[in-house]
Amino acid sequence: MLDIAKWLATTEWSIALHESLYLYPWIESSHVLFICFFFGTLLFVDLRLTGKVFTNLSISEMNKGILPLTIIGFCLMTLTGLLLFYAIPVRNYQNIFFRIKILLIIIAGLNALFFHRRMSKEAKKWDKDSSIPKSMKVSAIASLFTWSLVIISGRLIAYNWFDCDRQPQSEWINFLTSCVVDYQLYEGIDGI
Amino acid sequence: MKKTLKIIAISFTLLLGMNTFISAHHAFTAEFDPNAPINITGKVVKVEWINPHAWVHVEVKEAGKTTVWMVEGGTPNTLIRNGINKKTITPGTVIVVRGYQSKGKLCLPRCIANGRDITFPDGRKVFMGSSGTGAPRDGSDPRERR
Repeated sequence: MLDIAKWLATTEWSIALHESLYLYPWIESSHVLFICFFFGTLLFVDLRLTGKVFTNLSISEMNKGILPLTIIGFCLMTLTGLLLFYAIPVRNYQNIFFRIKILLIIIAGLNALFFHRRMSKEAKKWDKDSSIPKSMKVSAIASLFTWSLVIISGRLIAYNWFDCDRQPQSEWINFLTSCVVDYQLYEGIDGI
Repeated sequence: MKKTLKIIAISFTLLLGMNTFISAHHAFTAEFDPNAPINITGKVVKVEWINPHAWVHVEVKEAGKTTVWMVEGGTPNTLIRNGINKKTITPGTVIVVRGYQSKGKLCLPRCIANGRDITFPDGRKVFMGSSGTGAPRDGSDPRERR
């Protein structure tokens, strides 16, 4: 994996991106904008499914109106995110917050899969009975929670507290970030 | 009505909380020590033109000992606007850098610092950081509000 990241970093486009004067800041800013777009619309869907707010809005109606926007937001957010990764592949790959974020995205993604499978099948029924199963409410809250954590860990990628070029770090941090460290340099120093 | 007020009050408190979170998160104090100013003179060995922060590697020879300093600058865009570019700063250029050292001071394998300004061999002094990062107001940033 590290070799793939290293190879990506040598590609022409990756260099052009991280050296760029305008493109990188533009991509970075639009990533944040699309996160707002995605999370803002997701907020409506998830809050509606808790059954506490927007109760006069039918779930099937909401699926038609808001959900496509959430999906558009998700695609644009992911695209810009991939470009940001591609601009600085090695550092991102070895960044502990990036790794936490990917893990959280997998969790949030599995939750979303469960959520939408059931919602697309049963939304009409919930509207008719005007009740939402408890598992869906839990899933909606879990969705808000995990996506919030994704955003927070994404923000933290910027900080170099656990970066490989910032040693000494404890052995398990270096293990979690797959840093290659020359331990001979730090012999006899506390905290390693 | 009461409920609405409650929601407004809660959102407002959250917003205020967010605000302190954000101001505490300006990159400077998270990573660098405002009480450890540096003033180093040395030869540029490498410049990494990387967003969101460029890095200038400077080799400092002092009392027979060679230390490499990795100095963080602003974005490539801010540096180029200030006159620091691939032509003006090349490996071999001798520069004076003022800035602040990182919180970790082991300097292994190299020292890390946040750069404030660079003085070129011709005496030209240029701001190399980003404005509004929460770095000490030391007068090196010409756009700084006094």
